[in-house]
Amino acid sequence: MTAFQTMGPLSVLHAFLNVSRWRVSADKGMSVRPDTINLYVLETGGCEGCAMEVESLCGSAFALEQYGFARVTDPADADWLLVTGPMGRACVQMLERVWNAMPAGKSLVAVGACAVDGGMFGPNYATLGGLKALTPVRRAIPGCPPSPQDILVGLQRLAER
Amino acid sequence: MMSMERIIRSGERIALAHYHLDPEQWEAMLTAPGRALSLLSCWADEQRVYVLFLDGDCPLMASTPVEDRRYLAPSSRFPAAEWGERVAYDLWGVEAMSACGDGRPALDDGFWETTWPLSSRPGPGGQAMPLPAGRSRLRAETTGLSGPLELSFDVLRGAVQGLSVDAGLAHRGVLQRMVGLSPEEALPLVARMTAGGFVAHPMAFCRAVAQARGLQPGPGTRDAWMILLEIERISVHLFDMARTARAVDAGLLATHCEHAREAIAAACAEQGVPRRLTDVITCEGVRSGLEIVPLAHAVLEVMYSRMAQLRELQSVFAPRLKGLAVLAPAQAREFAVGGLVGRASGRSLDVRRREVGMRLDALRATGSSDGDAAARDALRLTEIRDSLALIKRILGSIGMDDDEPAPEATQEGIGAAEGARGDVWYWVRLKNGKIESVHARDPAVSLLPVLHRVLQGEAPERLSAGLKSLALAPSGVAM
Ligand code: SF4
Repeated sequence: MTAFQTMGPLSVLHAFLNVSRWRVSADKGMSVRPDTINLYVLETGGCEGCAMEVESLCGSAFALEQYGFARVTDPADADWLLVTGPMGRACVQMLERVWNAMPAGKSLVAVGACAVDGGMFGPNYATLGGLKALTPVRRAIPGCPPSPQDILVGLQRLAER
Repeated sequence: MMSMERIIRSGERIALAHYHLDPEQWEAMLTAPGRALSLLSCWADEQRVYVLFLDGDCPLMASTPVEDRRYLAPSSRFPAAEWGERVAYDLWGVEAMSACGDGRPALDDGFWETTWPLSSRPGPGGQAMPLPAGRSRLRAETTGLSGPLELSFDVLRGAVQGLSVDAGLAHRGVLQRMVGLSPEEALPLVARMTAGGFVAHPMAFCRAVAQARGLQPGPGTRDAWMILLEIERISVHLFDMARTARAVDAGLLATHCEHAREAIAAACAEQGVPRRLTDVITCEGVRSGLEIVPLAHAVLEVMYSRMAQLRELQSVFAPRLKGLAVLAPAQAREFAVGGLVGRASGRSLDVRRREVGMRLDALRATGSSDGDAAARDALRLTEIRDSLALIKRILGSIGMDDDEPAPEATQEGIGAAEGARGDVWYWVRLKNGKIESVHARDPAVSLLPVLHRVLQGEAPERLSAGLKSLALAPSGVAM
């Protein structure tokens, strides 16, 4: 079998129909939220592993919106700030800028070991060692990196609190 | 007059491909007439300055002492060395004389706790410099990349001019954290250098360590590593294609790439292997319990059924990427840009081709000379096809002996791996079994000196799509 074996008449429509067949979704037992929580994602100098998993969760392979969450690209629209990475000292201004642009009632969620306490990248001359250095971390999703499913389950648990 | 290679080889050979030069030989190397070698990396500490070249397809390394905290700048001959010189100044306070460029900070924008933090005389932390008035910015949180990197530029008649990059935000001092650890203790740090190289970075590192120890990974390890690297290539190419597609509203292509990537992750998980192949490479081979043959078959099965549709969608949406973020072949050559980006701009460098035991007939992608985002996207898919062919070929002769002799143990080693985003290189020096010195070069670094040319003339709103197509990883740049 070759990699580009033809599969009969191909069409964009066919590709469109195939999408639902391949959709990966989180556990069936997960509850669906009636109201939407808007998420803004900020990477603060880690390996990008957590950030890429959050990006996967926000992509089409997962049904994030069905579970009551949506990714936004403007912090002014965000309810929760999802932080990944060990918080480089040079990233603090960026964090403040985004946090201050979010409306009242906002929450901070550390995604991945680095975002909590730096993980394997503890404090040094360039890194603060996670959000813990700035504020008590009350909402966290562990892992290095957590899978998109882990992140979704974690978000759901936090939403139920 | 001697050629550059001969000048280097006239120095004192202290490892397989590393020569110590005195300051006169160093200057002669930098001013040698004729063709220059391809520079892969430049770095320095308080004691020495190093350059790593490609001589044909083999690494060749030279170093010379740093005297009075100064050295003659490799960038006086190789503009691509400038980044390493600026990093060395920020970390160690050693100065490159006759350097090209404006000497701006590379990593330390005044936010660090100390200046020259690794030097024997660190100073108090600096102060962040405000951006010159009138300059526009693409803030780190708005680039659309997975890590923080900031661009500043002027806008002239709607087009970007004079772009500069602030890549220091993602620096976390990984290499310094590795010093004093055994290679095995340092491996978890290497395994989290950058998410586009969860396999490639540890593989290059373990190859360097094996060379330093005078070991040659056996054919079983060699083939397992090759298969894991190809699985990573497929997965990362799909990620980069999906993200680029989303940037140009090609949602259907993005969707199919995302589904394929998740299906690979699920296939890995079903085989008891971490979804993104984290921590699968060890100094001895692969993590215990990893069964490479069923894993490879599972990935082939996932991808074969999807390839025709991915190719069709990629060609449907290709016109949206035409002419975006063009790296001209001449610039790719001049700045020795490797990896997929280099190959889409007419450079043929692929370090897999020099590997012992490589099934060369599977690597058929010929690259392109268009150098734009469309060329990179098409090449990503062609390379996925080649990866599948390569995995299949390896499965057909897995563990095939090659009788490669072990190198002499010199406590120094150089290792490379052709990751999805380009060639990753490690150099290590061991002392009493611990890492005395280490350097890593991620392919993202080779993009820095060409970035302003590649993005020059783009509309500001197209910068993010351009960066995504180049798959620039700030974590790899800054480490
Ligand atoms: S927690 Fe792990 S995967 Fe996430 S950014 Fe840190 S090192 Fe990378």
